[in-house]
Amino acid sequence: MSEAKHNSPYALEVRGLSRSFGSRKILADVNFKLKHGEILIIMGGSGCGKSTLLRHIIGSLKPDTGEIYIDGTEITKLNDRELSKVRKSFGMLFQTGALFNSLTVGENVALPILESSDVSSIIADLVVKLKLELVGLTGFEHLKPAQISGGMKKRVAMARALALDPTLLFCDEPTAGLDPVMTAVIDTLTVDLTKKLGISAVVVTHDMTSAFRIATQMIFLFEGRVIAAGTPDQIKNNPDPILQQFINGYADGPIPLKLSKDDYLKRLMQA
Amino acid sequence: MLLEYARLTSQAFAGIFAPLLGQRSWRLSALFNQMVSIGVASLPTVALANFLLGVVLAIQGAGQFEKLGATDMVANLVAFSILREIGPLITAVIVIGRSGSAITAELGTMKVAEEIEALNVMGIDPVKYLVVPRLLAMIIMMPVLTVLGEGVGLFAGWLISVTSLHLDPIFYVNNSIDAVEQKDLFNGLFKSLMFGCVVGTVGCFYGIQVEGGAEGVGKATTKSVVTSLTSMLFMDAILTALIYFV
Repeated sequence: MSEAKHNSPYALEVRGLSRSFGSRKILADVNFKLKHGEILIIMGGSGCGKSTLLRHIIGSLKPDTGEIYIDGTEITKLNDRELSKVRKSFGMLFQTGALFNSLTVGENVALPILESSDVSSIIADLVVKLKLELVGLTGFEHLKPAQISGGMKKRVAMARALALDPTLLFCDEPTAGLDPVMTAVIDTLTVDLTKKLGISAVVVTHDMTSAFRIATQMIFLFEGRVIAAGTPDQIKNNPDPILQQFINGYADGPIPLKLSKDDYLKRLMQA
Repeated sequence: MLLEYARLTSQAFAGIFAPLLGQRSWRLSALFNQMVSIGVASLPTVALANFLLGVVLAIQGAGQFEKLGATDMVANLVAFSILREIGPLITAVIVIGRSGSAITAELGTMKVAEEIEALNVMGIDPVKYLVVPRLLAMIIMMPVLTVLGEGVGLFAGWLISVTSLHLDPIFYVNNSIDAVEQKDLFNGLFKSLMFGCVVGTVGCFYGIQVEGGAEGVGKATTKSVVTSLTSMLFMDAILTALIYFV
C-alpha cells in the first residue's frame, strides 16, 4: 500500500483519552500513536482497561474526554452513519470470534462484502475463497462455526475482519484459550498479513510470548494509565518494577493482588 | 427504557417501509426463514390450542343453552367468540410463548457472544439486519396463523355439535354464518396484526438489551414473555373498547 493513500502519517492516534464508569476511573489520559504498517500491542493485567480502550477505538464506547484519530479522522464526535463509513476501513477480530452460528464459514466471511456493496454473489464467493486461502482454510466454506475448532474459528474471524481490505486490524486477545502451536499460527498469520497487505494492527493481549513475537510497538496499561511505551526491546529493558513483574509473571511484586491495609479498613468500616 | 423501546420500534418500522420508498429491498431469504420459524413451525401448536378451545366452547355453551332449550345457539356462540376474541387471543398467546421468547433468546445470545457488536463494527445496522426480518415475519404470520387457527376452532365446534349434540351439520353452518358479520373477521384480524407488532418489537427489544451472559439471556426472555403477554392483553382491551364503543 503506497504512502500517498494515507491522510495522516499515523494509522491511529489517541490523545488524552479518559473514561469513568460511575466513580471508577477506567481510562486516565491515555496517549499513543501508531504509524502505518506497524503492530501495536496493548498489554496489561485483567481489568486494567485494555478492552475498554479498544472499544473506544472501534467507536463502541464514547470517551468522557479525549480524541481518537483513525488515519487522521477524529471519530469520537461522529454520528452513526459517519462512523460506519470509517469502520469500513478497519477490521476487528473479537475475543470469542463472534462468528454467526446460523451462517456457514463462507457466509460469515461474505457477510461484510455483500452488505457493504451491491457485488454479485459470484464475486463475493471469489473474495471469500481468497480470504480463506490467506488464513489457510481453503475448502472449509460449507462448515458451520460449531463444526470447527477454536483456533479455526479465530482464523475465520480473521478472514472476515480482512474481507473488506481494511487498512487497520484490531484483535482482542486473539490467542486467548489456544494451545501454543495454534497461538504461534495466529501470531505468524498476524505478522504475515500486516507485511503482505501493508496494514497496521492493534493487538490487545496479556500473552507475553505472543506479544514479544509480533510487536513493533508496545504500550503497557496499569490502572487505566499508560505506564510504559516503546519498542519490544525498550519495554524489555524498562526498569519499572510493575512492568517487570508483569512481563516475567512473578507472583510477588508491586502489582496489588490484595487490598492494602488502608483499603481493607475503609471497606470494613463501610460494611 | 420506554424511550429506547420507542427508538428501536421507530427504527424497525423505518426499516420495514424503506423498500417502499425505493431504498434497499428486504432480505427476502432472511424474511422467509423467519416466517418459517415463527409461523409454519407454530402452526401445529396454534391449531391444537384453537381446536381444544373450539371443543370447550361448544361443550360449555351447550350446557347453558340446553337449559334455555336453545342448543342450536351453540353455533352462534362458537363462531362469534372465536372470530372476535378467542382466535386472535389464543394464537397470540401461543406465538408469544413459542416465537416471541425464541426471538429474545436468540438475539440475547448473539448480543452476549459479541455478534451484534461485530455487526456494528462491520458497518451493518443490526436493526435492519436482525430486527426488521423478525418483526416483519411476525406482522405477516400472526394474522395468517390467526385465520388458520380460527378455521380449526370453528371446525372443532362444528364437530362436537354434530357428533355429541346431534345438531344438523348444514343448519349449524348456516347458523354460524348468520351469527357473524364480515366486520367481525376483519376486526379480529386487525387485532392480530397489532399483536404481531407488539410481540415482534418487545421480543427484539429485550433481546438486544441483554447484558451479562447466560443469566442475562434467561432474565430477558422471562421479561419479554411477561411484557408481551400483558401489553397484548392491554392492547386487546383497548382495541375491543375502541371497535365496539366508538
